[in-house]
Amino acid sequence: MAVTAADVLFWLLALCAGVSGWRVFATDSMVRASFLLLLSFLSVAGIMLLLAAPYIGIATVFMMAVEMMVMALFMVMFMMNPAGLNPMMMVHQHKLAIGAGVLAFLGLTAAILLTDLPSDPVPADRAVVHDLGIELLGDSMLVFETAGVTLLATMIGAVVLSSRRGRYGDADTGSRPPGLEPGGDPAGREPEEGGGGHHHHHH
Amino acid sequence: MMAVAAFVSLFALLILGTALAAVMDRAAVALASGRPMGAALKEPARRAAALLLRQKVETERPDSITWPLAPVAYLMLAAVGLSVVPFAPGVVVTDISTGIVLWGACEALTVIVVFLHGWSANAPMALIGGYRYVGIGLPVLLLSMFVLIAAALPAESLSVVEIVRAQEAGLWNVVRQPPGLALFLILGLMLTLRGPFDYADAEDLAGGTKAEASGPHRLAWRVARLAMLVSFSAMAATAFLGGYLGPVLPGPLWLVLKTVAVMAAVIAAGHMLARLPPSRMLTTVWVVLLPLSFLVLVLVGVELLLWP
Amino acid sequence: MTLTSVLIVASALVGIGLYGALSQQSFVMLMMGLELMLNGVLLAVIGFWSFGLGGAPEGQLFAIIVMAVMAVEMAIGFALVVAVYRKKQADMTEALETLKN
Repeated sequence: MAVTAADVLFWLLALCAGVSGWRVFATDSMVRASFLLLLSFLSVAGIMLLLAAPYIGIATVFMMAVEMMVMALFMVMFMMNPAGLNPMMMVHQHKLAIGAGVLAFLGLTAAILLTDLPSDPVPADRAVVHDLGIELLGDSMLVFETAGVTLLATMIGAVVLSSRRGRYGDADTGSRPPGLEPGGDPAGREPEEGGGGHHHHHH
Repeated sequence: MMAVAAFVSLFALLILGTALAAVMDRAAVALASGRPMGAALKEPARRAAALLLRQKVETERPDSITWPLAPVAYLMLAAVGLSVVPFAPGVVVTDISTGIVLWGACEALTVIVVFLHGWSANAPMALIGGYRYVGIGLPVLLLSMFVLIAAALPAESLSVVEIVRAQEAGLWNVVRQPPGLALFLILGLMLTLRGPFDYADAEDLAGGTKAEASGPHRLAWRVARLAMLVSFSAMAATAFLGGYLGPVLPGPLWLVLKTVAVMAAVIAAGHMLARLPPSRMLTTVWVVLLPLSFLVLVLVGVELLLWP
Repeated sequence: MTLTSVLIVASALVGIGLYGALSQQSFVMLMMGLELMLNGVLLAVIGFWSFGLGGAPEGQLFAIIVMAVMAVEMAIGFALVVAVYRKKQADMTEALETLKN
């Protein structure tokens, strides 16, 4: 079988996706991790472009760029070391996780190799983006709208979950940082009671 | 043949446009402050030469990959964004059916590149600049997508080439949806870190993300910002002002004239409008501008239903 | 580039993502593992669409649903992380021995 330019490009992108995906969990800094994950997504988007999916491929770039940017924003927010350039290694059940990952890969690969896969490629002259648009607002409109409503519900849910003010008082009332060791003294500061100084109780 | 012409046009527009943008930027300052115009013409070249000769400053443990790469990536995004713009009928570098989505992806990646430029220096001012820029940049990005979809509606296509063709057959988008262009110009200010949307490289942060950059690195960053201005202006001229369409003069010349006009508008807005505090700007963008852009989209939809 | 090779790459991404989701202590890093798994799923879906469906648009529709799932996962995940951080000032999984409070 002749090796075409598309094949070479595919394997390069696949290598990039895999290696950057692995480096996400091996790098020092969480900001680096989130942009390595973005690199993995960009590589997969490139493969999708090779697979004749111009809309999904580029939309992945757009969406994942925004999503990873938000992720990096949260990283910087939650970290003690804002620039995130200090070394860190925070893992648990490491061997088990490696085993599970390798097992998942081998299992899936075995399933792929043993299955008789369909072969009915996209015709070269098919207007795939046009088809997708007609499908989204035609036969599959209910599916599409359900996804839209789900996203709306997600937005409302996210705001409710993360909001500080709640029906039963402030979310962080009486909150206590976790102990440095199990059952030990709390790490870090304890937040002011009620925050903002509105609910000072005098005993 | 067409592909060669498209590539040549792209690089010519990008390089000459960047030089012109630098001159226009200084000329705007000279015009406002009453300084002699002749000096403004020579100043960009003089500044560039000075920056080229200046030594490089190293920060403590910068991110060695993204720190030098950020200006290059910014410049590349400007070039990729410009590549979907047709210079004349059939002369376009990337003629894909989802050109406008590709431009949107370039916008999103630009916000990331500016953040990375601020973060990778490992310095406080630069990080603050990058961090607060992201907060403002993301909602402006959403706004621009609504506006661009509205511009693509009359063409019934996501291809930039088709958008120009639809304007040839009907009205220019600026006539159909004038608020769309105004909102899109906000994106231009955001993408090129200018005036009211300059939260990344502002003077109140001693230069923000470029605070630690010196010498050729700083020059590259400046050039990339100006190149992005050219790319954005060409996109705005194509999506709203009919691109290469126009009487008498040849098409590419019309595109250049319109691009320069948009550039002048963005530069003037950048110098004339003041910057709001980030928190107020964030509220303004989410509460006023974003719903407004959605309203534009709805109105264009209704308009197309009534007068197809 | 065949369907088999695309699917093997996708399963590699799923495997790496599973490793990350199981091994990371930080909530945000854990979510990155989930995202990487969904990345593999997305690639597999597009692979099947491209090689096996003759271009039927439902395959692309499914990919869009996977993307929506990613967005939901991120938004709810971050909201939960913020809620937990408010309550316990923790961004590590070990800090949560109970879901009470």
